[in-house]
Amino acid sequence: MSDTIHIQIDRADGSLQRLIGLVERRGFHIDGINMADEGSFRKIALTVRGRDAGRCMDNLGRQIDRLFGVRRIGNDIIQSEAA
Amino acid sequence: MSGRVGVCMATSGPGATNLITGIANAMMDSVPMVCITGNVPQGVMGTDAFQEIDILGVTLPIVKHSILVRDAAEVPAAVEEAFHIAASGRPGPVLVDLPKDVQFAQTTEDFGFHIPNATPTVDHDAIAAAEAAIRAARKPLVYIGGGVKIGGATQAVRDFVRATNIPQVSTLNALGTVPTDAPGMLGMLGMHGTRAANEAVQEADLLIVVGARFDDRATGKLAEFAPNAGVVHFDIDASEVGKLRAANVAVVGELKTGVEALTQRMRAGAALDIQPWTVDCARAAAAGAHRYDAPGEGVYAPALLKEISEAAGDAFVAACDVGQHQMWAAQHCRFASPEAHITSGGLGAMGFGLPAGIGAKMARPEATVVTIAGDGGFMMNIQELATLKRYGVPLKIVLIDNSSLGLVRQWQELFFAENYSEIDLSDNPDFVKVAEAFGIEAFRIDRRDQVSEGVQRLLAADGPCLAHVVIDPRDNVWPLVPPGKSNAEMMEGS
Repeated sequence: MSDTIHIQIDRADGSLQRLIGLVERRGFHIDGINMADEGSFRKIALTVRGRDAGRCMDNLGRQIDRLFGVRRIGNDIIQSEAA
Repeated sequence: MSGRVGVCMATSGPGATNLITGIANAMMDSVPMVCITGNVPQGVMGTDAFQEIDILGVTLPIVKHSILVRDAAEVPAAVEEAFHIAASGRPGPVLVDLPKDVQFAQTTEDFGFHIPNATPTVDHDAIAAAEAAIRAARKPLVYIGGGVKIGGATQAVRDFVRATNIPQVSTLNALGTVPTDAPGMLGMLGMHGTRAANEAVQEADLLIVVGARFDDRATGKLAEFAPNAGVVHFDIDASEVGKLRAANVAVVGELKTGVEALTQRMRAGAALDIQPWTVDCARAAAAGAHRYDAPGEGVYAPALLKEISEAAGDAFVAACDVGQHQMWAAQHCRFASPEAHITSGGLGAMGFGLPAGIGAKMARPEATVVTIAGDGGFMMNIQELATLKRYGVPLKIVLIDNSSLGLVRQWQELFFAENYSEIDLSDNPDFVKVAEAFGIEAFRIDRRDQVSEGVQRLLAADGPCLAHVVIDPRDNVWPLVPPGKSNAEMMEGS
């Protein structure tokens, strides 16, 4: 089972690296990434799945939300799809 | 210590990489800090120039935020933003990287970062749910974390426990939040916690968790931690709630206002009917009280540390290194406030004690600051004796020398069939001579009957002073929850 998380994040030095590093560090594989710049921010769709059953998508969402520069992430833009 | 943002600066390359352990420590223990690093000019960035390191990339996992400033006009806003981010919410380190060309440029730009007004809000529905959970509980327990001190909620938590009479346990980083010797304080929970604290957690039917994050050293085997308890979790960081243990009631926001609101509600209602539980907890605490009457003539480090903390009284501040002495200090010293105990909790970075002690003494000159170090950790930053001398900082140092990496040795003894490897430090230098070479008063204690006089001499010294305390390398830290085991499975030494 993988989930796609949609994120809006500022276009700052290291912002993409910061986001991807956090996702992998918190125990998730990144199966796909889609990104488009829109003005001063980036729209990113990350398709991720937990490395084991103990990885919680809600926790990951809160951890991403804590990053400075993340403008928007929420349950309303998290869409589940079959792996 | 002061709660204010600390600042450090380093040059590019190795200067910046030498900050990494300190930055990681600040991240793990939520210390507000701004780190300003230099970098090579932007024109050569990415070319492996002399002393070029992508310090922003290197530190990404261990900072709260980081900013690479590419234009001098952005410097004022970047600095202001860095200080704001470091101190606000859950504090942490922020790195500002300045390429050389930016450092040499000039700007007339004023500070431009708009700091938002953040009025603390209280989730009254969550507070009401917390009150209901507490009133329904027969065995409630407060689990105090380091966030209480950071959030300025020490008095709020003290008022809460006084109003409700609910027993408490503390994490390593929260020791002193409720004074160590206060009734109802059962001590530290976890791997080297007290039996009373760990048993209370296992028995509790409700944990009121304030500014703690269910660290594995506190919980032991998580699946068996507090098996009968519901959880009311107060934290300013939403990502900590439910991360490791589901919360029945989550109160996300500033701890001070949240706990004050709960106390107000508890005071307005009837007193809790939990006396059988509080009596059981008090009985367990009395039964498990530490003893200091071990036979022998050698120095018993726990007794020495207890004596120092009591002799220094409320002015006592311990800046601990990492290892057995750190756990002995946590178990046996008396801490009047959480600021009285400075320790590297999350990262567990050996070498922390001496520089932390220097910083603490400079921040609070009126306090009796004592660095408590082991021989292993002391050697990792021993060059800071020069800083101590240079600035004439009257720091007291208790160097507990067991000629080994004691905690590693203890684990090898207990869990690796005494297969000792790389723990022998019997070729240590003469620490008294080393200190004296730096111009620092030093003396040796190697018998129990020298302890009281040595403690008095150390505390009475006008300038920096080091007491080199020699102990038996076979001394272990007890009790101990074996790694990966439940807190119910505590080992006791002989």
